Amino acid sequence: MSAATASNAAAVAASSSEGSLLAVIGDEDTVTGFLLAGIGNLDARRKSNFLIVKPDTSRREMEDAFKDFTTREDVAVVLIAQFVANEIRYLVNEYAEPIPAVLEIPSPDHPYDPSADSILNRVKHLLGAGNDGL
Amino acid sequence: MSTTNRLNVVPTVTVLAVVKNRLIGAQRGYKLLKKKADALSLRYRQILKKIVQTKLSMGENMKSASFAWTEAKYVGGDGIKHTVLDSVDGKAEIRVRAYADNVAGVKIPKFNACGSGSLIGASGGGSGETGTTTATTESKSELTGLGRGGKQIQKCKKAYKEALQTLVELASLQTAFLTLDQAIKTTNRRVNALENVVTPRLENTVSYIKGELDELEREEFFRLKKVQAKKKKDAKEREEKEESLSKGEGVVKGEGGSGAGPVGNLIDFANEKDEDLLF
Amino acid sequence: MFNTKDGFLEATVRGCVGGFLRTEDYSNLQQCETVEDIKLYLTSTDYGSLLQNEASPTHPSLIVRCCLKKIVQDFSFFDLVKAAEPLSTFLQYLKYGYMIDNIVLMVTGAMHEREVTELLDKCHPLGMFDSIASLGAVSNLRELHRIVLVDTPISAYFGECFRDENLDEVNIEILRNSLYKAYLKDFFRLSQMLGGLTAEVMKEILCFEADRRAVNITINSIGTELSRDDRQKLFSDFGHMHPEGQRDLALCRDFEQVVSVIVNSTYQNILQKSTSEEMNIDKVFYETEVMKCSSMFAQQFHYGIFYAYLKLREQEVRNLMWLSECIAQDQKYRIVDGVISIF
Repeated sequence: MSAATASNAAAVAASSSEGSLLAVIGDEDTVTGFLLAGIGNLDARRKSNFLIVKPDTSRREMEDAFKDFTTREDVAVVLIAQFVANEIRYLVNEYAEPIPAVLEIPSPDHPYDPSADSILNRVKHLLGAGNDGL
Repeated sequence: MSTTNRLNVVPTVTVLAVVKNRLIGAQRGYKLLKKKADALSLRYRQILKKIVQTKLSMGENMKSASFAWTEAKYVGGDGIKHTVLDSVDGKAEIRVRAYADNVAGVKIPKFNACGSGSLIGASGGGSGETGTTTATTESKSELTGLGRGGKQIQKCKKAYKEALQTLVELASLQTAFLTLDQAIKTTNRRVNALENVVTPRLENTVSYIKGELDELEREEFFRLKKVQAKKKKDAKEREEKEESLSKGEGVVKGEGGSGAGPVGNLIDFANEKDEDLLF
Repeated sequence: MFNTKDGFLEATVRGCVGGFLRTEDYSNLQQCETVEDIKLYLTSTDYGSLLQNEASPTHPSLIVRCCLKKIVQDFSFFDLVKAAEPLSTFLQYLKYGYMIDNIVLMVTGAMHEREVTELLDKCHPLGMFDSIASLGAVSNLRELHRIVLVDTPISAYFGECFRDENLDEVNIEILRNSLYKAYLKDFFRLSQMLGGLTAEVMKEILCFEADRRAVNITINSIGTELSRDDRQKLFSDFGHMHPEGQRDLALCRDFEQVVSVIVNSTYQNILQKSTSEEMNIDKVFYETEVMKCSSMFAQQFHYGIFYAYLKLREQEVRNLMWLSECIAQDQKYRIVDGVISIF
């Protein structure tokens, strides 16, 4: 475990020279907003760091994007809209690496449901129900 | 139990000393690790609470950000999103920098947002150079929606940057959470191992060695007693013989006469001396 | 005379006006709890036939799409009827604004090497023209002008804006606004040429549009690198605020100054109810536009109602977008900030 942390730290140190990227998977409005904020990136092969999920986006595409973003070395944080995370819940739950961090974010027209959030679930589980003011 | 859960050692005094030292080491290590685990879980609990808080404020931020986008769409028309989507090119303006934070010897990666479109006033030294290179893209998006909705777009941009700030914070908390989770698990495993396996085993070994040594001592004592008894018996026999001899022979008496009185003492003395020697 | 040529279309437009959502409709819509409810309510209106076949779950963007379809439907009907000259030209002119947006969209897309088909999907249906697909293949703006746009009415505007400048160095937003300026000017010229009542009402509304653009450009360029002269170049050369108001606008450095310029112009009364909120100024302009447009229907025998109809439909799309987004995002208390009831 400590070795894993060390290697993570090393990876972080290596990429920190110019900073790592944030990746987004979400609905059009959310992604547009984040792109507006300036996280959009296209690399030399015109590969982007975001995926717009439309009603006709297949689960396969979401899976691929998620796997791609979580394995890319230059990505430090993956933002994933909750309704997308719900589609590929098993993948998200399976994912346990500290880097890149996977964050579930609410999307405007899907009300945020904290009980579905895999991290928040673990937090709740650890704190115990009704414990510590939760 | 004592036969299975102990180290396989030769029960001698030197080994006892070694094992005792190890026991002390284990106990000290246990205390230290226990402290580390406590420190980690203290931090862990803080982080958990913060995660919950940040998650909630993230919800708020995201809400206001997406509403700002709605405002932009209202004024600028639906087509405005294409302008934004299509203007993505090249390098990201906002990136995260990661550095390691140290909690009780556990390295916790932490993120910090940075980049030319700096979220915060002070975004670190490295961003200065990127600022100049991306100045063109920055100004490009500045003019987005010049005819209509430009103000709203800038507002929306700001709102999303704020949301990003919270998200990055949340990301570091979450990473810290996962890292600490693992660290605490390993530490607890070690603490438990020390407490429930290593220490009892060493303690058992110590008591085993002590027991063995006691046993040896008792055996030795018994043996000595036997020797003493044998010697006493021999001395008595000799005395009787001497007595019978001194009755018959006067010559011998001179020899025995020199120590006739303190014979018992002498034997006793010799015995004690023997014992010392034997031991 | 008017009736024999354009009477049928005018009647059609007036008929369509009945299809606008009314104040009662909006207050009913405000009571909706979900986007699904909105959809349900809208099926009982003119949008019914369009929304019926859409699958759940309903998304705000779906409603917007349907509203757009409605406009397109109406306009394709106008096309179908084959309006006589000069009304047909007038109707074409209404579409030029969208065309400009589409061209800009295609050009930015082409510069970023997007898929042409993907870009075409994003284009506004009213702004389509035959050669639009070939825009995707254009690599620089000069080529764009030479090869593609020559056949379109927009080409004249291009020539007007950038006669000898190097097109590649022009910021795309400035290009868009310069084109729009040329378009407004041309539209203004056309409406004046038509004469009569049309000239009168269109002058009023186009002046308003020109002034609004000037104010918006000013507000949106505060704090950017756009220079004072460049800013003034984007202002139309007519309008109620031309030239004094525009000169003052060009000098503005912050929002307060803009407000004071507006107060000193013919628009002083519209700003009275507005506070210093930036959102409000847009809303006030939209409200004024709606007012002006609906008053156009009070007069007969002019083309202004077609313009008004389009603008009012646009406002309805905005209203519904705002309404459904507010409801979807659980921000119902903000609904009043964006919805302007038309009748």
